Amino acid sequence: MFFQGLALSFVSSMAWCVLFNVPVRTIFAGGLAGMVGFCVYSLLPSLGAEVLLSTFASAAIVSLLSQFLSILLRVPSTNFSVAGIIPLVPGSLAYKSMLAFVNNNYVEGITLATKTLMVAGAIASGLIFGISVVTIWKGARYAGKRTQRD
Amino acid sequence: MSPDLVMDTCLLAGSIILKNGGETYRTEETMALIAEAAGMDDVNSSATPTSIILSFRCSGLDHTRMVRTPKRTTNLNKITLVNDVSRRFVGGKINLEQAYRLLRQIDQEKPIYPIWLQHAAAATASGSFAMLAGGTWFDLIPSALAGLTVNLSLEFLEQFVRMKFFTEFSAALLGGLFALLAVTIFPQLHISIIIIGAMLPLFPGIAITNSLRDLLAGDLVAGVSRGVEAMLTAVSVAVATAIILWVG
Repeated sequence: MFFQGLALSFVSSMAWCVLFNVPVRTIFAGGLAGMVGFCVYSLLPSLGAEVLLSTFASAAIVSLLSQFLSILLRVPSTNFSVAGIIPLVPGSLAYKSMLAFVNNNYVEGITLATKTLMVAGAIASGLIFGISVVTIWKGARYAGKRTQRD
Repeated sequence: MSPDLVMDTCLLAGSIILKNGGETYRTEETMALIAEAAGMDDVNSSATPTSIILSFRCSGLDHTRMVRTPKRTTNLNKITLVNDVSRRFVGGKINLEQAYRLLRQIDQEKPIYPIWLQHAAAATASGSFAMLAGGTWFDLIPSALAGLTVNLSLEFLEQFVRMKFFTEFSAALLGGLFALLAVTIFPQLHISIIIIGAMLPLFPGIAITNSLRDLLAGDLVAGVSRGVEAMLTAVSVAVATAIILWVG
């Protein structure tokens, strides 16, 4: 079941890469980013993490990996991060909340909608975390070089 | 170097990036880097998701131009290529005429993946996402076909309807109707899984990522407007899903 999930996340991320016309040499790396993100996402709950924490952690890892791959392959990091977050999209939560609203179950609908928004926020903050870490690292490296030169 | 050619090159690079789904801060940065590497003074560039303004000073004369990019698609390959050209020009490996010619070529290029492959990719993404959301192997094919329906109708409707959100709404509605049809014919399928898979091609991934990166780069106007774009897409998909659930 776990390995089936890994394969499916790899395939869906790669398909998204094709949908966004990424360069041919980066398709596999995009699939890899999605697979690593899903791996973290499905392993963390067994260590006792909640869904928000595991979403945040996997989005952060996808973002860090995208930045690393973008330096390695010399392409913009959007190529990887867009496809990498696809397996984390809270599709079933959003669906369940719409279902509750349609069935006049407003309290449950609002609860689920809030949960969906929080998962989306966790993905966003994970992406922000990865970008910020790499920016700080680059800035520190640049500052180090400058002090050496002066 | 003639300032007109510098201006043309910068604006071409910027509009290719903006037209093909690049971030606003990348547009501004690329234009400023090219203009500065070409020896222009006092370079200022400003971009919103739909327009670019660039101004610089060359031998005592100010030059300012603005272009609009109303039509936008997603082609990350072109952004990578433009990035490459600007890096080579700034590094001194090619001159301005070569850079301009390369950019013209990039602008004319067709998408690297043919349209049937894109539809196949949308179907694959939908099918495998539906499986990830907890579907059985039987749900794979109908979800893939529903995703294909969504993507095909998106492409078809875009030619006639200029409103992006209405196009997405109609595509989501058609995909949902396909899911309803599939469940009516084969009652053992799960409609929830098929609808979750079908809506995946409409997920505003590029808008969300670009909005975050623009916000982080301090481009608040562009970041907020991209964020609103992503939210409107999500709302139109949600409303379409609600209508389908209400009918079904």
